[in-house]
Amino acid sequence: MKHSFVDRFAELESPLHLLDARTKLIGFIALAAAVLYIPPGNSVAFFAAFFLLAIFAGISQIPLPYIVGRTLVILPFVLLAALAAPWGGKDGWTRLAVLVLRSTLCLLVLILLTNTTRFVELLRGLRKLGCPRILVVNLSFLYRYIFVLSDEIMRMRQARDSRRVGRVAISTEMKTLGSMLGTLMVRSFERADRLYQAMVSRGFSGEFPVAAPRSFSWRDLAFIAVVALFIAATVYL
Amino acid sequence: MSDYAVRITRLNYSYPDGTRALENVDCDIRTGERVALVGPSGAGKSTLLLHLNGILKGSGTVRIMGQTVADGDLAFIRKQVGLMFQDPNDQLFCPTVQEDIAFGPLNLGVPAAEIPARVEKALRDVMLDHSYAGRTAHHLSHGERKRVALACVLAMEPSILALDEPASNLDPGTRRHLIELIAALPATLVLGTHDLEMAIDLCPRTIVMDGGKIRADGETRLLFADAELMAKHGLEVPLSLRGNHR
Amino acid sequence: MHIPDGFLTNRIALSMDVLSGATVLLAAHRLKLESAMRLIPMMGVFSSFVFAAQMLNFPVFGGTSGHLVGGALVGILLGPMAGLLTMATVIIAQALFLQDGGLVALGANLFNIGAVSVLIGYTVYRLFGSPEAKGKRLSAAGFVAGWFSVVVSAAACALELGLSGAVPLKVGLPAMAGYHAVIGLVEGGLTAGVLSFLVRARPDFLKKEAAPRFGFWDGVGGLILVAIPLAFLALAGSSSLPDPLQALLPEPVAGAVEQESILSPGRADDLNRVLLYIGILVVGAIALLAARRLTSRGRPS
Repeated sequence: MKHSFVDRFAELESPLHLLDARTKLIGFIALAAAVLYIPPGNSVAFFAAFFLLAIFAGISQIPLPYIVGRTLVILPFVLLAALAAPWGGKDGWTRLAVLVLRSTLCLLVLILLTNTTRFVELLRGLRKLGCPRILVVNLSFLYRYIFVLSDEIMRMRQARDSRRVGRVAISTEMKTLGSMLGTLMVRSFERADRLYQAMVSRGFSGEFPVAAPRSFSWRDLAFIAVVALFIAATVYL
Repeated sequence: MSDYAVRITRLNYSYPDGTRALENVDCDIRTGERVALVGPSGAGKSTLLLHLNGILKGSGTVRIMGQTVADGDLAFIRKQVGLMFQDPNDQLFCPTVQEDIAFGPLNLGVPAAEIPARVEKALRDVMLDHSYAGRTAHHLSHGERKRVALACVLAMEPSILALDEPASNLDPGTRRHLIELIAALPATLVLGTHDLEMAIDLCPRTIVMDGGKIRADGETRLLFADAELMAKHGLEVPLSLRGNHR
Repeated sequence: MHIPDGFLTNRIALSMDVLSGATVLLAAHRLKLESAMRLIPMMGVFSSFVFAAQMLNFPVFGGTSGHLVGGALVGILLGPMAGLLTMATVIIAQALFLQDGGLVALGANLFNIGAVSVLIGYTVYRLFGSPEAKGKRLSAAGFVAGWFSVVVSAAACALELGLSGAVPLKVGLPAMAGYHAVIGLVEGGLTAGVLSFLVRARPDFLKKEAAPRFGFWDGVGGLILVAIPLAFLALAGSSSLPDPLQALLPEPVAGAVEQESILSPGRADDLNRVLLYIGILVVGAIALLAARRLTSRGRPS
């Protein structure tokens, strides 16, 4: 597993990257919701949305191959879900296409959000928007320890594979998986214990201290204005 | 204000499953003293260290800077005792180095405005460039992690440093760096280690533990040169003290 | 299954967002009251465990692959509140890191895979097992808990998709529930397996003090929380403006009745029937819990 899969392009310095995390969270989510409210007949609005996202993608300096690649990876799942929907009747294909397009636009929004915001900043933004502290702390631990765990899994896999020849029966596969999970779980418990000791040694008493606040800038207002304008446009046009 | 940093009286501790870990441990350490804690694996060194800041509570008394370690006021104790664990991975749990180092001081109530300065100073103390502040623990080498873990403890400005194998698994250069770092610190030092040469370097006094009991307590070089004592407790006379090396 | 954006009507998606938000806030609040300091590092580490475990695939049906969901396991080991928050963390992380599941649909995914699997898994486990369970009892309870957690979770997902019209209930529910009934066997097996492993390797981990108590009224409250949005959806009924998703779906063709969205006016009795079944389940569960509570001999509440 690539170790920087989350933040690969979050270290860039585009105007979008410099926005406060709160702005991006609210702005992008509102944008996604707006896209979902566009009536399917309104092609102009869809093109406007796509245009806007393309502009944002350009400003963000995230490499295009990555955006396209990421979209293509998720697309099969969207298509699968779409094909389960009831089709038939006139314009079946057009409507299918619109369904997929809606989903893809929202996916683009998500890609933009997560790749223009450093994870630490994202967490801070979530916290300031009222997300429960414990959830933010959990996300922070997940981020920190997922690499450690994936290394452990990789090593376990290698150990397992080097002791295996040819095809394996399902039942053996299951048993091995069960042992791997069990071992991982025991290690997780032990790690949690040691973590607790370390936290408590540094004065932890159940409450997490608040971090220093960040300030808004004109860029944040500009971004919000653009998104609001778009939403207003789709509603009235 | 006593001039004993640590006073341990008749400390006994058994693990939940019944294993006896510490038996009648009595020990006094003066402020500013540097004491090494040596012994074979399972002797109880780490267990004893965990009693210094109240993570483990045995029967008997542990007094830190005159105050008894009791359930009530652990905040004071944890400010006084900076405990560094063997595995840095367990101590670096925040997304960035900056947050890890800031964790302790923030818990102590240090105002947010002073935190960046503390972080800077802690990094300087462990000889790491301030660019380390934004990095993730996972991308650091073992040696760098050890130094950051020490920085996390130093940022709290403790008067007593309790270090558990601070130089384990380090290459000789980094190990030497770390020894020099620790040597320069003014705090009282309790050093749990297998690295006898480091003990000689840093600590004039040594306590030998075995089977949960204190077996010897005295001048480091004298104890380490005593071949019979060393052999009896699963240790060896360090190379630098053998025969014609001095 | 993580639902992408665009497959739920906005009304359903947004009401699920509100419901999940409320559930998470409630769980966080409950945890604070119990001042479970020790749980904090455990939840954190387990979040990464579940996230990692969900990436360990095993082959199913020759072509597809499945993975451990972990809701029941986490609920049993950490208690329902902490378990819920742990799974919520995982779902959010999956959306952010892997773009698995939509942004607006996050609430629905959080509810299905986070809340439902944990709460159902925990409740079923408590019905058949107990914190001190050992051996066969532990394995059996764990297995059943794991199975139910996955199947009910899939049913919830199918219900949301069905009520949105994206996948007709008559097709979606049997398909999802059926497929997950098989996957559930693995989940049950793995849940039971890991629990037995733990009891043998480190029995102290399963001690009661690791998990806060889940009271009888918590169970009732939980079930009511589930019933409320469904009631809301039913009462909201058919509004004058069609949701964009439903406008995309084809006009009902004469005879092809099953293609209609379940929320359109002609299908009111279908919706009522679904709600009736759910109501029966809810009341039945309350009755079961009540009976169990009243007849328990010295078991802690």
